[in-house]
Amino acid sequence: MRLLRYIAKRLLHLIPVLLGVTALVFVISHAIPGDPARMMAGQKASREAVENLRRSMGLDRPLHEQYLRYMWGLLHGDLGRSVRSQRPVAEDLKDFFPATLELTLASMSLCLVVGLPLGILSAVRRNRPVDHASRVFSVCGVSMPVFWLGLMLLLLFYRNLQWLPGSGRLDVGLDPPASVTGLYLVDALLEGNGPVFFNALSHIILPAFCLSYVYLAVITRIVRSSMIAVMEQDYVTTARANGLAEAVVILKHCLKNSLIPTVTIAGLSVGELLGGAILTETIFDWPGMGKYVVDSVNFLDFPAIMGFTLVVSLSYVFINLTVDVIYAFLNPQIRY
Amino acid sequence: MRRTRFLAAICVLAALWFSGSARAGTPPDTLVVGVSSDIHLLDPAVSSDNYDWRQIYPCYDRLVKYKVVNGQGSTEVEPMAAESWQVSEDGRVWTFKIRKGIRFDDGTPLDARAVKFSFERVLKIGKGPADNLGAIQTVDVVDDYTVKITLKNPFGPFLQTLATDAASIVNPAVMKNEKGGDLAQGWLAQHTDGSGPFRLKEWIRGERCVLEAKPDYWGGAPRLKRVVIRFMRESSDRRMALERGDIDIAEGILIDQIPALEKNPDLVVRRYPSQLVEYVYLNCQKPPLDNPLVRQALNYAVDYKGIIDYVLQGNGVQMRGPIPKGMWGHKPEVFQYHRNVAKAKELLKKAGVSRLQLTLIYSERRPTWEQIATILQSNFADIGVNLKLQLMANPTLRDKIDRGDFELCLGAWSPDYADPSMFMNFWFDSNNWGLPGNRSFYKNEKVDALIRKALALSDQEARIRLYGDAQDIIMTDAPYIFLYQTQTIVPMRKNVKGYVYNPMLESMYNFESIYKQ
Repeated sequence: MRLLRYIAKRLLHLIPVLLGVTALVFVISHAIPGDPARMMAGQKASREAVENLRRSMGLDRPLHEQYLRYMWGLLHGDLGRSVRSQRPVAEDLKDFFPATLELTLASMSLCLVVGLPLGILSAVRRNRPVDHASRVFSVCGVSMPVFWLGLMLLLLFYRNLQWLPGSGRLDVGLDPPASVTGLYLVDALLEGNGPVFFNALSHIILPAFCLSYVYLAVITRIVRSSMIAVMEQDYVTTARANGLAEAVVILKHCLKNSLIPTVTIAGLSVGELLGGAILTETIFDWPGMGKYVVDSVNFLDFPAIMGFTLVVSLSYVFINLTVDVIYAFLNPQIRY
Repeated sequence: MRRTRFLAAICVLAALWFSGSARAGTPPDTLVVGVSSDIHLLDPAVSSDNYDWRQIYPCYDRLVKYKVVNGQGSTEVEPMAAESWQVSEDGRVWTFKIRKGIRFDDGTPLDARAVKFSFERVLKIGKGPADNLGAIQTVDVVDDYTVKITLKNPFGPFLQTLATDAASIVNPAVMKNEKGGDLAQGWLAQHTDGSGPFRLKEWIRGERCVLEAKPDYWGGAPRLKRVVIRFMRESSDRRMALERGDIDIAEGILIDQIPALEKNPDLVVRRYPSQLVEYVYLNCQKPPLDNPLVRQALNYAVDYKGIIDYVLQGNGVQMRGPIPKGMWGHKPEVFQYHRNVAKAKELLKKAGVSRLQLTLIYSERRPTWEQIATILQSNFADIGVNLKLQLMANPTLRDKIDRGDFELCLGAWSPDYADPSMFMNFWFDSNNWGLPGNRSFYKNEKVDALIRKALALSDQEARIRLYGDAQDIIMTDAPYIFLYQTQTIVPMRKNVKGYVYNPMLESMYNFESIYKQ
């Protein structure tokens, strides 16, 4: 009950956060020198055509009036219309968000599936070859530029070895599954469409690995160091003295207690991945929000920039809330 | 046992995706084109972007189209939906006879009403494409298959403008999708409704667009069944996909990657002289650039050959005058600047200018600009001019150009229709200051008079003479540094046949006559 009250309180905090974010982004994006009406009309358009367009887009009104109009629309669930695509921004985001979410979830799964065991192994076999190898692996991940790694992965696995497909979410000859969630892997499973599922899976491997490598390295390092700190505590020695199996000591007593920093980092990483997968999406032609927002910025598409910012900030808030709730499950001493 | 099952499952998974990925090559009735940019929207009355036109153009018919002569694209037009036309003596009234038997997908005939509806819709919406049809005063239906177009003033290039994307003929029935008086803009932004050889089948945003051929097209069924346009932002991705056979044509491959593609026996790299030019705007209103001697000096300082050899790796030619080679009105004997450091220094001295500091602005819109800017900096240093380079975002750059808030700026230009006015009137008419065309804020009353007179005439010989005279004055006034006209390089799989390049249709394809062997 107290937890529910805490969640409700945190959700109420959303209101000032959203007000702050919208006001800030609105002012900053409108301060960029440039004229969206001119971008829309085309560079050879006459001044008269540009003026007409500016009026019809409401850009001739004072800034505060434009902001109030935007907020009024937002209250009614209207994110505005994209200057570039002429479509409601909500529809644009509905098209691009699932691709980013799918890539983020795949990357995070990879991070946890590989990072956790590697970190544990590294801590248990401290200063032994496995630990050294894991450290080299982590240092490479942290220091390798994403665009270079992406190109190398494509060169090796797509062009030379021809093991995996290159860019995009599906092969050209395949139609996407009927959209339920927008995540091809999930939708293909729901549809029972094996070929599309495996094709989508083969397409996501390289970008997911490329995107996750940095975070994978960080998570491995965090798990290792917090495991080492926990393993040196007295209760672990007591558990061992009581004759508990080593696996039980490590996985039950040490791991659970060392997970809090890992969950924090993983939560922040998901937020970052949702908003910052631009390079990976560009290299692998992944049709996600990263590409969408870069194009929107280049086009001074204010409603699209605002819509993107809102989605990312909302995601951040919800992910942080989820992380806080997970804390309570991991450590019963944490109470809200 | 459990471990064995797990391993077996892994093997099956691996086999499945390897079998999928190893399958290279595209179906023989499907053309896959890898392009660098997604579509913004598909309404011919709204889009001013060649990347949109690539999809819009094959889905619609127009009154006229560009001729193909001996397998080469030309800048002359011939009948398309119009069977024939007549023009009044004063050049203001054009009467078109429309071909019978052309129908839109829902069976609505393409007739005079459809032409009137389409042109009036473009003009009413009043966005970028409206400028291409801006000469039109009224469109009248004479009978079902005759339409009369009256111009505000005689306009030499009128017929050429009817071959542009803006003049695409839209099904009037599209109005049933109108919302809130938007003239169906919302609907046409994402759909097509034309009588062209293709129709839009699917558009997965950010990923691909599929055009489906119409087997009953009045001009003959296209040999391809479908065209897939894949949006692949990275040049290296497109290159790898082309080499593997996952795409048939790769657009916009960076010049330094071309030599490797030329060595591949499965590919062919085609080169075409384009009408795309790159040049430097010299702001004639900003001292000391308001002095023609200073502008001439800067023109003499540039190492044109070095830029073409180094930046373009030879894939371009230096411009001679403002009208590029291949466009009628090009004057082969007009004066051309060459690098002459001594002459440049002498001109600066004559102008009484020393220790000159100038700023060049540019963006990353074209991959060549960074290198060109650096070369210009070094070239100008040779004549004692210190050039500061300022890189900025493209929207900011455009804003500065429009307001004239710059000294020197790098630019690129390609014509919308095959007429020298796209260069002469846009670039030099003092009514077009700023982004619309005259980006050097140049004003010369004599030039204004010559080019305005040329624009109003329909006699080509007279127009060539007038534009020729204007070019001589312009080369002395030197409001721009004319760098080069580029080559369009199109790498494709060897089995792709029937591709015709037209310099007026940059980034657009003749999908209706392309086929695969």
